[in-house]
Amino acid sequence: MDIGAVFENAILQFIGFNACYYAIAAIGLNVQFGYTGLLNFGQAAFMAAGAYGVGQTVSIFGISLWWGVAIGIGYAVFLGLLMGVPTLRLRADYLAIVTIASAEIVRLIVRSVKFRDQFGGTDGLKGFADAYQDVGVRIGLEPAGEYGFWIFTFSGRNLWNLMVGWSLVAIFGVIVWRLMKSPWGRVLKAIREDEDAVRSLGKNVYSYKMQSLVLGGVIGSFAGMMLALGNANVQPDNFSRNLTFFVLTGLVLGGVAKVTGSIIGPMMFWGLYAFLDSLLRELIDKPVRIGDFTLMQSTDVGVVVYMLMGILLVVLMVYRPQGVFGNKKEMAFEGR
Amino acid sequence: MTQPVVGTFKNVAGRQRAVQLLVGLLVALVTMAGFTSSAAAEGEAIRVQVKDQQRDAAGKTDNQPVVGVTVTVLDASGAEVGTAVTDDKGVALIPVPGKADYTVRIDESTLPDGLALSSESPAEQTVAGDSFVTATKIVNFFTGASQSESTSTTERIAQRFADGIRLGLIIAMCSVGLSLIFGTTGLTNFAHGEMVTFGAVTAYFFNDLGLHILIAAPIAVIAGGLLGYSADRFGFARFRARGVGLISQMVITLGLSIAAQNFFLWRFGGRDKPYLDYTNQVGSKIGPITITPRDLIVTIVAAVVLVCVALTIQYTRLGKATRAVSDNADLASSTGIDSSKVIRIIWVAGGALAAMGGVFRGLDEQVSWDMGTSLLFLMFAGITLGGLGSAFGALVGGFVVGILVETSTLLGVPTELKVAPALLILILILLVRPQGILGRAQRVG
Amino acid sequence: MKDADDQSAAEPAAADAPSELSEYARVAKAALAGVSPEPGAKKPDPILTASGIRRAFGGIVAVDVEHFEVQRGSITALIGPNGAGKTTFFNLMTGFDKPNTGQWAFDGVSMDGVAPHRMAARGMVRTFQLTKSLTKLPVIENMKLGATGQKGEKWWNGLFPWRWKAQEAEIEARADELLKRFKLDHMRDEYAGALSGGQRKLLEMARALMTDPTLVMLDEPMAGVNPALKQSLNQHVRGLRDLGMTVLFVEHDMDMVHDISDWVIVMAEGQVIAEGTPDDISSNPAVIDAYLGAHQGKTLLEDQV
Repeated sequence: MDIGAVFENAILQFIGFNACYYAIAAIGLNVQFGYTGLLNFGQAAFMAAGAYGVGQTVSIFGISLWWGVAIGIGYAVFLGLLMGVPTLRLRADYLAIVTIASAEIVRLIVRSVKFRDQFGGTDGLKGFADAYQDVGVRIGLEPAGEYGFWIFTFSGRNLWNLMVGWSLVAIFGVIVWRLMKSPWGRVLKAIREDEDAVRSLGKNVYSYKMQSLVLGGVIGSFAGMMLALGNANVQPDNFSRNLTFFVLTGLVLGGVAKVTGSIIGPMMFWGLYAFLDSLLRELIDKPVRIGDFTLMQSTDVGVVVYMLMGILLVVLMVYRPQGVFGNKKEMAFEGR
Repeated sequence: MTQPVVGTFKNVAGRQRAVQLLVGLLVALVTMAGFTSSAAAEGEAIRVQVKDQQRDAAGKTDNQPVVGVTVTVLDASGAEVGTAVTDDKGVALIPVPGKADYTVRIDESTLPDGLALSSESPAEQTVAGDSFVTATKIVNFFTGASQSESTSTTERIAQRFADGIRLGLIIAMCSVGLSLIFGTTGLTNFAHGEMVTFGAVTAYFFNDLGLHILIAAPIAVIAGGLLGYSADRFGFARFRARGVGLISQMVITLGLSIAAQNFFLWRFGGRDKPYLDYTNQVGSKIGPITITPRDLIVTIVAAVVLVCVALTIQYTRLGKATRAVSDNADLASSTGIDSSKVIRIIWVAGGALAAMGGVFRGLDEQVSWDMGTSLLFLMFAGITLGGLGSAFGALVGGFVVGILVETSTLLGVPTELKVAPALLILILILLVRPQGILGRAQRVG
Repeated sequence: MKDADDQSAAEPAAADAPSELSEYARVAKAALAGVSPEPGAKKPDPILTASGIRRAFGGIVAVDVEHFEVQRGSITALIGPNGAGKTTFFNLMTGFDKPNTGQWAFDGVSMDGVAPHRMAARGMVRTFQLTKSLTKLPVIENMKLGATGQKGEKWWNGLFPWRWKAQEAEIEARADELLKRFKLDHMRDEYAGALSGGQRKLLEMARALMTDPTLVMLDEPMAGVNPALKQSLNQHVRGLRDLGMTVLFVEHDMDMVHDISDWVIVMAEGQVIAEGTPDDISSNPAVIDAYLGAHQGKTLLEDQV
């Protein structure tokens, strides 16, 4: 068994592309769930909004890729309003139900035969990311070239993705950090704990919740854009319930209501994921059998690791709900 | 919910028996031997299925295998990986070197006379490397006209309603537990869909071992009750006693949902499978609708069970206690109702009903690892429509949503999107009457 | 500041001799002297008026108030046995709940259909029976939250501190001053969760004052407060009137009602059954009846002890 390779994989995934777009999504989710206490269980839908926004530009509308940013934001705002208008005046559970349902319907719509001409059906969209990749080439990163040192050696294309992705993480991290230090952030944190108290002090709670939902969703849409551009394609089944839940797991792992938590949590999630995945793959080089009963074979590894990540979320919530960086005193999605 | 939780088993022997039963059940689950043995040979392969898509009089699709068609798999560079001819099941299995991007092409000239690929099925399909869930990736090709217009409009409407009633009954059955757990503890259980899958899969497991479905189904229902029992006994009752907040509990159910779903995918596999009994039934015509004896019996049994549930809630002491706890747990406690016991019973009954709903759904369609998840959203729409937390609301709302989903295709909603109107209903009801049809407005502040 | 000085100077005197009335108290009592002590009585200068307010839950009528007025600049108590509909009435007046029928006006402007957050902006602020101090925010942040019209509460300004820093400093100064007055300044940077029950009541009251209200509505300010703190809470409520505000409060503590209110309104079974000065009320047979009915044999006097 090559334990070195296992750690190498874990470290690379810790700073890798998956961790980076998860971190962007988690920063957005943190605004909603962590700071405002909004139960958005459909972050995948916002990510799909961003991804399809950029995907449609070249592939469907035949316009410049960069319009995709605006289209993606537009879709995300629309989704936020659609989910928020009926639910944000009601108790928190309704938002959870509507977001989880909307995310599922969004996925069904984009993969449907009916709307194949708009969203590409199950094949998704591709061939739209050239303009984005050209920028990487222009600053001197050859797509096939190798850059870096030791185990941190990336192709030019990967390095470009990582540079853009982590820059976005930094930008959104700073934006959210500043906002949460402002009086606006104070209102959100107060709403998380007791919205009636805030209402009695003359704040329009509904409007603040909407702002938070939409802002978090727009940040989430940037995660989707990053995913689409990095992979140079959009696949409808990327945006499943698993995506939402794993972003949430990453956030909880890091610690809700902390910007550092929302960034490092997803990194730890992917580090841990890669560690377990490669470890199991190393261990199970041939099927594990008891008698003629096959317990596990190498093709099961992905599914088993997903299962373990689900259990991780449960264990975290029971034993350390504030995550690694959270503050128990301030730990507070549990206001009501 | 801060009062200490008292177990329902007062004597130690009883508790031990329950634990033994539970452990036995878990062992049985992990050793679902039958599933993986049939899953696939080692190594990756693409399984091409060519089907002639016809619709029977009921409007249900009825796929016949197409034999002797040549299919070819190409790799990303366009080089041929393998070629094969479909067997008498219409299946061609082509081994591939690994999980990568491939193109699957069908040779249209080898199709039997009189058959052509349907308009929605291109002659060439691409397979993305990351779309392999298990080692085998299934690619379907369909021939035949996709819609036969032989049935009259009234027949179509009647048929959609009949199917809708069946789906509605199943949704209602699955959602009773979901709604009552919410009503009594305030918890929105996002893993409730997995309790439905659990029932269907457990029945499949015993069915696959050789037990008739009529025996396997009751076992699954009992197992569902036990699952509900242990979920509360070893999970949520403790969380309540420890003061774990509701939102944390909700996130816990999300984690359980992912874990259970992937467990099913691991042990059951990614393919849909029918139960071994009552699979090839011919529908008979009753008035304007065509229905198989199996579906008819499912409808009748589901209706009878739900009427019993409704009567229990309305007239028995347990039912009254349940409603009292739903209304106001503290007040109920002060009048001498042991609310933790009521909650335990609701978990057991809810789990059993969900499992039964799962078996019925598995009979109606097929068993799959994510069948509960796809029903969950319809259940939510149903209980929101009926009134969150109300047992009758869950029955009525689930029933209405089922009919709505099945009849929506009459209004031109594509079949693949027929669940979408449920979201629309969910949003509309929240805008107009958030407490649902049968719910009551609550005092604010 | 002058207000704070007045307050500390007034405190010992008032505590020693409750009969010695402030200027504001004399004005309020004089204005109410001419009002006939009967349910729904008209006041010379009402700040809050309501008529025909009815609210039913299911089949149960929780509130059915024919007419209701609160005199500007007075301290008015709203009392009644449990389940009389006092809190529901509060919720209705402050927009937290909507009546089935009825109109009400604050400062002459109809409040029908006005959202709760707009009420506060117009100068009507409330506290809650179960204290709603935000335990996971520091005390000073709780206070600053109360200020209205903050530029930094617009999200697009949140990113640019220079647009709100100056205002924030002003707000902080005002908050510190209030904390001092309410003797919470030593807890300034603690989480509000670290405060005692009584301190939380004080914090909630102080936070409400950050909105610069003209009418302060207190829902059971004495509930759960330890007896040692009650005197000083009384002083603070009086202090509100002596700063020119109107106070309407719900209370069970008859000592407090008798001590500090200029006018008392009694509710039972959703209706206003009596009104008058504290002395009128304690001898009103209808009131004693209502309490007897609810308290199973206890008299109003016993209830006072």
